[in-house]
Amino acid sequence: MEKSFLEATQLSSFLETLRLFGELHGPTVTDAGVTTFAPIAAPSQLRIDYRRTQIPPKKYLLPFREQLLSYREGRYAEPAEAPPAIVLFALHPCDLAGIAYLDLVFLGENTDPGYAARRARLTLVGISCEPDDFCFCSAPNSEANCDAFLTTIKGGYIFSAVTARGEEIAAAAADLFSAADVPQSLAALHPGTGVAPQDPELRFSDNPLWQKFADTCVSCGACSVCCPTCYCFDVREYPALNGGGVRIREWDNCFFASHGEVAGANFRPTRLDRLRYRFLHKYCGFTPLQGITSCVGCGRCKAVCPVGIDLRELFSVAGGEMSP
Amino acid sequence: MSERVRDMHLPFAARLLERHELTEDTALFRIAPEEAALPQLSRFVPGQFVQISVPGAGEVPISPADLPGGDGALELCVRRVGHVTELLHQQLPGAPLGIRGPFGNGFPMEEMSDHPVLLLAGGLGIAPLRSLLMHLLRHRDRFGEITLMYGARQPKLMLFREEMAALAARGEMRLYLTVDFAPETNGIQSCAVGLLPDLLKGFRFDAPATYAAVCGPPPLYRCLIADLEQAGVAPGRIMLSLERRMRCGVGRCCHCAIGQKLCCVDGPVFRAGELKDIPEAL
Repeated sequence: MEKSFLEATQLSSFLETLRLFGELHGPTVTDAGVTTFAPIAAPSQLRIDYRRTQIPPKKYLLPFREQLLSYREGRYAEPAEAPPAIVLFALHPCDLAGIAYLDLVFLGENTDPGYAARRARLTLVGISCEPDDFCFCSAPNSEANCDAFLTTIKGGYIFSAVTARGEEIAAAAADLFSAADVPQSLAALHPGTGVAPQDPELRFSDNPLWQKFADTCVSCGACSVCCPTCYCFDVREYPALNGGGVRIREWDNCFFASHGEVAGANFRPTRLDRLRYRFLHKYCGFTPLQGITSCVGCGRCKAVCPVGIDLRELFSVAGGEMSP
Repeated sequence: MSERVRDMHLPFAARLLERHELTEDTALFRIAPEEAALPQLSRFVPGQFVQISVPGAGEVPISPADLPGGDGALELCVRRVGHVTELLHQQLPGAPLGIRGPFGNGFPMEEMSDHPVLLLAGGLGIAPLRSLLMHLLRHRDRFGEITLMYGARQPKLMLFREEMAALAARGEMRLYLTVDFAPETNGIQSCAVGLLPDLLKGFRFDAPATYAAVCGPPPLYRCLIADLEQAGVAPGRIMLSLERRMRCGVGRCCHCAIGQKLCCVDGPVFRAGELKDIPEAL
């Protein structure tokens, strides 16, 4: 893996180079003050020192609402969608890990065609970050899961090409780089705090904290919407007035009571049931990804929770029980 | 270049051939899929399900009541219970539909061969078990004794009653019917009054060798599992066909989650032993 130094003053030129690989998107702040990934028309829009966006980059791969197919006169047809090439710039390692998890879900057996088409047109450029009080990822400097990665150091960035596309970026931007004294261990810059280790029995014990969380949770579902790896969806159909119609899928939320409904019953009728369910899924995985935690430690769920639920409270209690 | 893989979300076209009313709210639909769907549908194993599309309403997962016939037509026993099934019930023969599948695991037919099979169906639960029963009877020599116990709320809600009686009369299976209650006015005497577990209590069978297949409303499973285990059927041989709202059928939408399992890919047929420690399973 080749590393080069990009001076901070060269960043604007580097962004122009990235545009060769697709429409440039990165962290920016809306007029309403919300940090979001959006098209970057001018370098001044970029907020490279952001902490976290409200909505994670999963929106580029799983749009909030997406047409699955259309039908007319008894025939079903896929949408003729050609997704644009997009360069997502300045993704934190937690968000990159989130995309890597979604890849496992949607590019595995029975590859999802919509996801795969968008994923193939997406170039990911990561950047190191400084964890804040909400963060609990394990590797804020991880260069994994992206095409190229920038590690922030004094005066600029260490550029690393990770994939073949990253090498292409390196080649295209070669003039902007200078040789650098690369610190021996970049990972040592910011040690991660770590996502709690997973143990279904411990997490889903009868610990009274679960009931405490259930008593305060308002089932708003904000934590799922903001989670980089929450992907469950509902499917709906909309007939058109002139015959035919479309079938769409849209984000769903396991905090909603309707999620566990079947005709005449609900398998997760209480808020406690739904809390446990979500965190069992998040921390212990599902078929076929059982045992793989999908929490990437980005801290969004804590940051957006209107009643301040912090699962780390449970983890620390449970962890305490474990120690001798 | 390899051949483009068919989009798993895309239904094959299908057409409604005919429908027979079974009860006030339940009908048997015969559906003919387009020819391109037949190779896929021919892989159908009893217990698997298909996603039936009704244009304008959406999709609904249905466990066919029999394997596809020689012409590829499928029989689906459907109760009018929600948005999609309501519209399906309004369709006339010839109406365009869609079909995806088959999905899920189905019953382990190889493993069950040479063993006695006890089928326990409650209400509409007879539909998926009928496809299993028909398969067992078509390959009668490969299985041990076949017994069907079927309970309905009352005689007029008993599905496939004449058909089951005719099959039992051929001597290839034993049939026990029961109803929760029998209105005095309808004059039907030929089935027991009581719940399904009551039927099981008086039943003498080779429990350690038997495979039980259970399908019915959620409360039925809990008491039947206990009774079957008490009779000596191993939890690994008690097969339960479960119901969830399966939206995608391929393990993505998560609507059918049961603990860490997904009904659409790990099921819908589960062994009682697998579900033991999952509080939301039954």
